[in-house]
Amino acid sequence: MAVQRKGVKKLNWIGFIIFLLIVLILPWLGLNSFLMTQATFAGIYAIIAVGLGMLMGYAGQISLGQAAFYGVGAYTTAVVSKTFGLSPWIGLIFAILLPALVAFIVGHTMARLSGYYLAMATLAFGIIVSVLIVEWRSVTSGASGFYGIPTIQLFGTMIKQGLPYYYFVWFFTVITVLISLNIVHSRIGRALRSIHDSEIAANSMGVNTGKYKMQIFIFSAMLAGLAGWLFAHMSYSISPGSFGLDASILFLTMVVLGGATSVWGALIGTILITAINIFVHFLGNNVSFITSDFEHVMNGLILVLVIMFMPKGLFPSLVNVFRKKTPHLVKESTT
Amino acid sequence: MLRVENVTQSFGGIVANKDISFQIVENSIVGLIGPNGAGKSTLFNVISAIYKPTKGKIMFNGKRIDGLPPYRIATLGISRTFQNLQVFRNMSVIENVMVGYHTNSKTGMIQSALRLPRVLKEEEDVYTKCLQFVKFVGLENDIEILAGNLPLGKLRLLELARALAVKPKLLLLDEIAAGLNHNETKKMSGLIKSIKDKGITVLVVEHDMDLVMGICDSIIVLNQGEKIAEGTPYEIQQDEAVIKAYLGEEVKESVAN
Repeated sequence: MAVQRKGVKKLNWIGFIIFLLIVLILPWLGLNSFLMTQATFAGIYAIIAVGLGMLMGYAGQISLGQAAFYGVGAYTTAVVSKTFGLSPWIGLIFAILLPALVAFIVGHTMARLSGYYLAMATLAFGIIVSVLIVEWRSVTSGASGFYGIPTIQLFGTMIKQGLPYYYFVWFFTVITVLISLNIVHSRIGRALRSIHDSEIAANSMGVNTGKYKMQIFIFSAMLAGLAGWLFAHMSYSISPGSFGLDASILFLTMVVLGGATSVWGALIGTILITAINIFVHFLGNNVSFITSDFEHVMNGLILVLVIMFMPKGLFPSLVNVFRKKTPHLVKESTT
Repeated sequence: MLRVENVTQSFGGIVANKDISFQIVENSIVGLIGPNGAGKSTLFNVISAIYKPTKGKIMFNGKRIDGLPPYRIATLGISRTFQNLQVFRNMSVIENVMVGYHTNSKTGMIQSALRLPRVLKEEEDVYTKCLQFVKFVGLENDIEILAGNLPLGKLRLLELARALAVKPKLLLLDEIAAGLNHNETKKMSGLIKSIKDKGITVLVVEHDMDLVMGICDSIIVLNQGEKIAEGTPYEIQQDEAVIKAYLGEEVKESVAN
């Protein structure tokens, strides 16, 4: 007989199916090629944001250098598939494993840090990788960018930008969300949530907090690497500018806006930021003083406002508002 | 079972515990008492590996445990509650207890990511087992409530259930009755006695004299970081040094009664 497991957080299948339907239907709503590209990018960014959200919301760690793993993933597959001429699918393996290895090494050196110090260390790490990409010209082609990254082939057909690549990316995004939700709703997820509430108690209950923090850090790096792989093979060319501090802060803003304590929060944050950037782009077409740099202004503004007024992020705040309006659904203890 | 040997713990120039030695025998309830600042909590944190002692050693079932990381202590069979309530506030009652069961289950990251069939099987198994601990402390009507919404009395019970879910051989209770009313304290005494009946050894740090005198098989008294007495509750109540240091009139009265 199946046990009901009342009181234990479980995967919300209805929410998941709604999410799946939206992903499937969206391209048929008359998106032009610009919007299609943006929707594809949203999928790529969502993979990174979900990983970063797990790191921030569940492991209680911060990373201001997440774009570095994204960059390592992208350049790894570029080198594997162009320089060595191997299949992009082999590139995928390396684009996931190399960031994992880097995270393992970086994680060990940063294991004793937390709070501001960890933020500074990850920031520095991001800058180091960014500089490395620019300066290691023999491998990365430096600041001018790496050209000629091949298109991915699946069952003998090329996956080209547009509708095919949209579905290709979001296939990975959906899998990422599913895997992350599985982790969150498991023994490991509970251990991580317990670290967030009281690390000292989690430790005393036998939770090896260091180990789980490390595992999640590696997991988030692998996801960023996967995103880098998807980005590289979509773009034909990549350049260091996509993997700098701007990108790291963009991912951070997505997670903070949506709310780090939930996988859905990171996803919603990504979609909202993408929507805002599309809006800024349209404004830019019509208003002369608004340039593409305006995105950064908006992102910075959002980051500040959210931290001031909704420190838990949009998704948990909305859930709270819903609960307050429907008090009969909120369970309070008697006594 | 537990042997504390010449433990000294100092923070900078301040010596919180000075050359303390004692033993805890299996299947007993031992009380650790002393006036404020006597070093009880420090000693407690040394035993549960939150602090590493400056000098001395701690043996548990023949194995040296000082210097181990705290999570290893739980694996060996020592669990604890916290005086300042370290519940997982954003998790439900049952989820709190399930974290306590962590070392008795083994689903790993990759297994849970892929949601293998045996993951669900273990989840159901863990849930059923943890429900027993929740029922034992009498919180079965609150399993779905977020721990952050519980009143103090129930939080203490939750901490107890969570610590029991570790399936400890030795249970450390840090002022488990602090802030409880008379009835709640009585209920807690009953629970601690039935925990001993399950074969679990208990070490309690407590301010509530009725509770300590009522349930403990033996008592260790600390004063200003040093052990000043050790014995049965009756012996402790008679001990001149103890009376002078700490208990004062209260004990004389309770002896007279």
